[in-house]
Amino acid sequence: MSPIPTPAALVQDIRGLVTLPDVYLRITTLVDAPDSSAADIAKAASQDPSFSARLLQVANSALYGFSGQIATVSRAVTVIGTSQIRHLALAMSVASSFAGLPNELVSMRNFWRHSLYCALIARRLAREARRADPDALFTAGLLHDIGALIVFNRLPAEATEALTRVLDSGDELPVHEAERQVLGYDHADVGGELARLWKLPPLIVDCVAHHHDIAAAQAHPRETALVHLANGLALMAEIGSLDPADVSPLDPRAWEITGLDEECLGPAVAEAQGGIEAAERLFGGGS
Amino acid sequence: MNATAAMGAAPPVLPGFEHVKRGWHNSYGAYAARILPGEYYVTRHDEGIYTTLGSCISACIRDRATGIGGMNHFMLPQTANEPQEWKATGLGAATRYGNFAMEHLINTVMKHGGRRENLEVKVFGGGRILENMTDVGQRNIAFVRDYLKAEGLKVTSEDVGEIYPRIVLYFPATGKVKVKRLRSLHANLIASQERKYVESIAEQPVAGEIELF
Repeated sequence: MSPIPTPAALVQDIRGLVTLPDVYLRITTLVDAPDSSAADIAKAASQDPSFSARLLQVANSALYGFSGQIATVSRAVTVIGTSQIRHLALAMSVASSFAGLPNELVSMRNFWRHSLYCALIARRLAREARRADPDALFTAGLLHDIGALIVFNRLPAEATEALTRVLDSGDELPVHEAERQVLGYDHADVGGELARLWKLPPLIVDCVAHHHDIAAAQAHPRETALVHLANGLALMAEIGSLDPADVSPLDPRAWEITGLDEECLGPAVAEAQGGIEAAERLFGGGS
Repeated sequence: MNATAAMGAAPPVLPGFEHVKRGWHNSYGAYAARILPGEYYVTRHDEGIYTTLGSCISACIRDRATGIGGMNHFMLPQTANEPQEWKATGLGAATRYGNFAMEHLINTVMKHGGRRENLEVKVFGGGRILENMTDVGQRNIAFVRDYLKAEGLKVTSEDVGEIYPRIVLYFPATGKVKVKRLRSLHANLIASQERKYVESIAEQPVAGEIELF
């Protein structure tokens, strides 16, 4: 058997298959430039008609609560905020970016549904926890498992072996631990590697790389803890359970770090279940 | 089933079940046997039996007086014949496999001291876990209901249908069952394990006595 490639090697392998869209790169450059204005960002967004159309849909959706009052891209950029637009542009493009990386283990629809549950819940928890950017957390939640798509595509036999171990354990062995047994690393390590290669904001890198090991988050422990909780609650939303014992264990330190408690669980799960279909239409990768 | 129980030797295994994989589970402090599609397991001891289910069915049957009992895991292979074929009262090729699975379980429980009038039956599975799949789960549910009705056995508990893969953990000694829904991440692997099982039985001849387990 040939040695298992490192996360860095896996990410290099898929460079040509998964790329960030131009509109995200243009907006990011502008957001980082000190002398750029909201008008510059709106202009960059407008250069991609399909992106502009979807941006208006998102701005007028229940996520922002402007219900149909946003008619132009420049207005959308103003009300959503210029740095938030960068996160939104990433969220809106990630599903189509990964369409070129199919796999046999999970349907793209199921994969993005879990990711969207996590995004919706991370966004809500960010508001409840305060001092956290809901738009950044939405995107971090949406991207948290992107490493799994790379593992499933590049190492299907090993990924199958890991999932088989989870089932054979009676679902007691968490998926990321099964991956560590088989590969020596997990999907979060691979996702973190890609996030660094793509030069995504450090907050996103931390959340993607450490959502299963929140103690390892250096720069953004609070946001990482929020995504860790949102991931667990997303699984509950998916299987229709409010019992944390039904999903892989939540790290008790995540409640401490975020200042949240288990009372937020029920309403967050219910809100995500109510919003998932609309979110799938906006972010589900259909376009 | 004492959560604080220390790990000892595995309970003795009944003849014919030596191949079934068993292991100690700290979370509930007991040994448990892991059965795969097409397998079954019967025990007279306080140990668990678990399996993962997509559109397959597991029947959990025990003698409520003595605690001897077991679990099977089966599905009907697809046939080109008309839908009526799979009624348990019919003579279809497909039902043969369901009948074998149910008979093997019931007969083994009775062979080791279970009494028919004491049997307690629980039924799980038959989910529609893949969106683009015909609903073979419903067909399996209908079969097991028909079968049990024809046998005069009442179902005391069930969790069937819906879209979730499941994991079922059963303790024949107490009759206790834990059903856990699994996230959709596991759906394709469970479906492919079940598909391999169905393909393996479809290759078997349908006439004569055949050992399927």
